[in-house]
Amino acid sequence: MKWTKLGLLFEPHRYSLPNGCTAFAQAPQALVFEDFVRIYFSTRTRDAGGQYVSHVSFVDVDRTLRRVIGTATDTVIPLGALGCFDEHGIFPMNVLRAGSAIHGFTCGWSRRLSVPVETAIGRAVSYDEGRTFARLGPGPVMAASPREPFLVGDPFVLVRDGVWHMWYIYGTAWLENRSEPGPVRVYKIAHAHSDDGIVWRRDGTAIIADAIGPDECQALPTVFACDNVWHMYFCYRYATDFRTNSSRGYRLGYARSSDLATWKRDDAQAGIDVSTQGWDSEMLCYPHVFQYDREIYMLYNGNAFGREGFGAAVLEQ
Amino acid sequence: MAGFAQGPATLVLDDVVRVYFSCRPKPDARNQYVSYAAYVDLDRGDLSRVVSVSARPILDLGERGTFDEFGTYPVSVIRDGDRIRAYYGGWTRCASVPFDVAIGCAFSRDGGVRFDKYGAGPVLAADLHEPFVISGPKIRRFGDRWYLWYIAGTKWIPTGERPEPVYRIRMATSDDGLQWDRLHRELIPPRLEADECQASPDVIFANGKYHMFFCFRYSLGYRGREKGYRIGYASSTDLVTWQRDDAKAGIDVAEHGWDSEMISYPHVFELDGQTLMLYLGNEVGRHGFGLAALEGDLS
Repeated sequence: MKWTKLGLLFEPHRYSLPNGCTAFAQAPQALVFEDFVRIYFSTRTRDAGGQYVSHVSFVDVDRTLRRVIGTATDTVIPLGALGCFDEHGIFPMNVLRAGSAIHGFTCGWSRRLSVPVETAIGRAVSYDEGRTFARLGPGPVMAASPREPFLVGDPFVLVRDGVWHMWYIYGTAWLENRSEPGPVRVYKIAHAHSDDGIVWRRDGTAIIADAIGPDECQALPTVFACDNVWHMYFCYRYATDFRTNSSRGYRLGYARSSDLATWKRDDAQAGIDVSTQGWDSEMLCYPHVFQYDREIYMLYNGNAFGREGFGAAVLEQ
Repeated sequence: MAGFAQGPATLVLDDVVRVYFSCRPKPDARNQYVSYAAYVDLDRGDLSRVVSVSARPILDLGERGTFDEFGTYPVSVIRDGDRIRAYYGGWTRCASVPFDVAIGCAFSRDGGVRFDKYGAGPVLAADLHEPFVISGPKIRRFGDRWYLWYIAGTKWIPTGERPEPVYRIRMATSDDGLQWDRLHRELIPPRLEADECQASPDVIFANGKYHMFFCFRYSLGYRGREKGYRIGYASSTDLVTWQRDDAKAGIDVAEHGWDSEMISYPHVFELDGQTLMLYLGNEVGRHGFGLAALEGDLS
């Protein structure tokens, strides 16, 4: 694989977004229309206590993926009610068409006391071309399970031959450590499937081999088919000292599969890495791959987990 | 352990009745409790005689970040071949509300002294229509099907201080007790108020019918006699449709003493031809649990 970078596509501080969000445009996710691409992302504001809260927003870009033509004017999906799994943020929201509707799979965040957060996966639907989404219910469709004790999140969903497939992550450990003020998390990529996108079957097995040791953190898988092979991009990092130490921060990983059951990891074939300077010179994270106008594009975040926005790249074919 | 004996559940053994309950060490520096599950063995011929008490908790608390890090309460047990199964509410602490609960499963191979968890996570957690506080499991087996009665939270009421949850009785069924099909319906209509809280739905079969004893209270101001827990009753012939008739519960708060303000967390079981109820009194079991015997038949 070889990707040509198109540069920084969206910088949130240049726009006025709903909910007073001014920084971060994380985990971009594309919904393709005939004449434009709607790109959802999570952006942040702070609550009364000064803590970050993530909201979903979107930006519309032209069909060359180089020019912004509009942004969301309303709240795309409100946060959850008191005590719900998505009360303190939604990050990210994966969006897809299936049947006559547009579906959103959310990663909801709620704060805990002994650890900073818990996450679970919710489901929402839009009937207005993706401008706003409503939850199917107040709770999650995928939460902790016997083999996935916490931090179920980062959904990516495809419907293939009537079967809903979801790639997602689940937590395996909260580690005590010296580099961060509290415990740090370790999470891995897994796969679930479903007949209706609501009731999911899963076995809590990590499907991507670790490349940098058992405490490797793997996040935000994105899957696409090309030349009769399934390809997955994701991001991975060390569990500690990853925020400012570029050598331990997020990079993009790559794996391929012919049967969607077993995956062969081969990061050397990812075909994209950090730049020597600029907005994606220290970190690459939260990839999202989609097809549009016969091109295959990747959206992704760079330094500081996407504080300054997201960029795009196109696959050389 | 310093106080409380909550959520009693029984396992009838040859010579003793093992009563599981949850108890609490003294609160921590932030005045917060954890709860452990333990048991007491009562003489089967004379339930007022304590034969022994478990040397240590039957379940470990969960590791950091897991659903049962701060408590295992309440517990419900059942025989499963040569094993004993336990279902329990696992407690975690949250930032905007005081806690969340999900239901875990554990197995004992030593007759119910120690239980090993079925995984580090819950078997029944929040889902699309049951967003939080999945608690109070009562496990039963009728025919070749597993039945779980439990409660699910419907809302958190902001009070200005500590939000208070509203929860209602629900049911799920299963072939293996691990993958559950939920009915997704409240079984018992509220009687006191729209936000009535219901707990401890304990079901037994007798005389061709299913009988449920449970407890219920007002959502707020429930720590005294007036709005505190009482024991309710409902019956069913199909396990799904229930007729509530609290007048048939046949038990109420006493005039004086340890169960004069509230009665809660009923557990009904049969022993040597008698139908018995264990339940909690004032302060939801701070001072222990009590026993009542049914006079006549359940009909």
